[in-house]
Amino acid sequence: MVRDSVTRDRVETLLRSVPGRFGSVLHSERVAARLGLWLGISFTVAFATGLFSHFMQHPPGRLAWPSRPVGLYRITQGLHVIGGLATIPLLLAKLWTVYPKLWQWPPFRSLSHAVERGLVLVLVGASLFQSITGLLNISYVYLWPFSFPAAHYWTAYLLYGALIIHVVNEWAKVRRQLWTREQVEPREVVTARRRFLGTVAAASGLTVLFTVGETYAPLSGLALLAPREPHTGPQGLPVNKSAAAAGVTTVIHDPGYRLTVTGAVRTPLSLTYDDLLRLPQHTVRLPIACVEGWSAEAEWSGIRLRDLAALAGIAPDAVLTVESLERGGGYRSSEVRPPHWNDQLTLLALRIGGAPLAPDHGFPVRLIAPNRPGVLQTKWVSKVVAA
Amino acid sequence: MKNGVNAPRLLGYGLGGALVVTGFAGLVVDAHLTDPLGWALWFGGLIVAHDGVLVPLVLLTGVAVGRMRSPSPVRAGLTVAAMLSLLALPMVTGLGRRADNPSLLPLDYGRNLLVVLGLVALGTALAAIAVRLRARRRRG
Ligand code: HEM
Repeated sequence: MVRDSVTRDRVETLLRSVPGRFGSVLHSERVAARLGLWLGISFTVAFATGLFSHFMQHPPGRLAWPSRPVGLYRITQGLHVIGGLATIPLLLAKLWTVYPKLWQWPPFRSLSHAVERGLVLVLVGASLFQSITGLLNISYVYLWPFSFPAAHYWTAYLLYGALIIHVVNEWAKVRRQLWTREQVEPREVVTARRRFLGTVAAASGLTVLFTVGETYAPLSGLALLAPREPHTGPQGLPVNKSAAAAGVTTVIHDPGYRLTVTGAVRTPLSLTYDDLLRLPQHTVRLPIACVEGWSAEAEWSGIRLRDLAALAGIAPDAVLTVESLERGGGYRSSEVRPPHWNDQLTLLALRIGGAPLAPDHGFPVRLIAPNRPGVLQTKWVSKVVAA
Repeated sequence: MKNGVNAPRLLGYGLGGALVVTGFAGLVVDAHLTDPLGWALWFGGLIVAHDGVLVPLVLLTGVAVGRMRSPSPVRAGLTVAAMLSLLALPMVTGLGRRADNPSLLPLDYGRNLLVVLGLVALGTALAAIAVRLRARRRRG
């Protein structure tokens, strides 16, 4: 009995000593506060731009996003993905800094301490989940059974909720560490901290430098570690879903092809490819801005969607649905709300850079509109329905 | 919880708690899309891989580097190199390539990662030399 309790005391002492055995002065409140501040800012940007992307794809009720500025979605989603990648070094550094706390003993001092640690677990798990599955997703490595957007969307709420609670709990420490000047610290501690934070910032900065060219073309030569090159693809433009993957390689060349305009119209239309070519053609420069963060600009020519709507006698406040020849798939049709289809930049495009669309870019006809995610720029269009 | 209770604190807990509940509820309601079991395996698996494998490896490396004569540049160089390698790894494996779409993962990522790591190694070597020179000047 006595022997037992002695052993237990020894184990207890050993366990309590674990957090103190991490020698580096960088496992400090000050470093954690600094990295925490940076992470808080970048998670806020990620949450805001992510929600923007979600509600652009799933607008609640009659909400109609503006069609300008032309490049808004390109910028917000670029910030989301490139900024998200740049967050990974901050996250790993922060978790390393606070790692000794993982081994605190006793693990739970009280019920509220247990709840607090449970929520920290949610925060850590959600942060790793968002950034690592996000990285895999933009690398086209789908090693999971769930739908990435759905899992990523709901996990974002977990992350941000747990983050708010964590910030509330730690705010006093952050204030003490970052906004209270009179601290006496040994020189080496200050130097070590500056070096460490500088290293982490460098890793973050290089992450941006080597990837941002996938959306900011002037830096495309430096995009050594980006999953896309904005000039690579048929007609010098990247492709997300090929005609083969969509199963439309034959049907798009069917001589019986018609573009029909139906629904709430005065005059239903049924137009051949040649009919479309005979309508007034317009040329615009617009980016394709993918949900995965890359974007590429091209010169599109075709007919204005609003001209077609006028021809069919569609009311200016109607909602249009553009449908593809593709049989299934989540993106076979997309809704175009009034601000977008009334915009003169919104085309049913027939050409890129003067040449007919390549099959992978949506031959015979595709939608191209400003300020809109690429998944909603429907390809292989055969039908416009007004409601 | 601690430091007393005040209005901003309660507001924070309320808002944060509501978001956490929304997140879990959404994962369950959309179960046909989120596959809660698969989600949980990834969620937990990443925590275990991070806390149980990645960090211990980093700590061991840190101990080894700490025994070197001028550890700081090496520590910084290895940290940056490891983080950029993690970023590149999914692309280097080429698991995401698809025959029907050559515009996806169009680069030679293995070679590019080597170029990047080479640059980091060069920077590290220059920094290490600078540290030695400065130390010698101070002594001499
Ligand atoms: C390395 C980090 C990250 C990467 C690479 C990344 C990547 C992505 C991608 C590719 C999408 C588009 C999904 C789609 O519509 O198909 C997306 C959407 C989104 N992201 Fe992230 N993300 C990251 C981090 C985060 C973080 C930290 C948060 C939350 C704080 C977040 C919140 C969201 C939200 C709410 C959406 C909208 C999902 C939807 O459309 O339903 N992301 N992200």
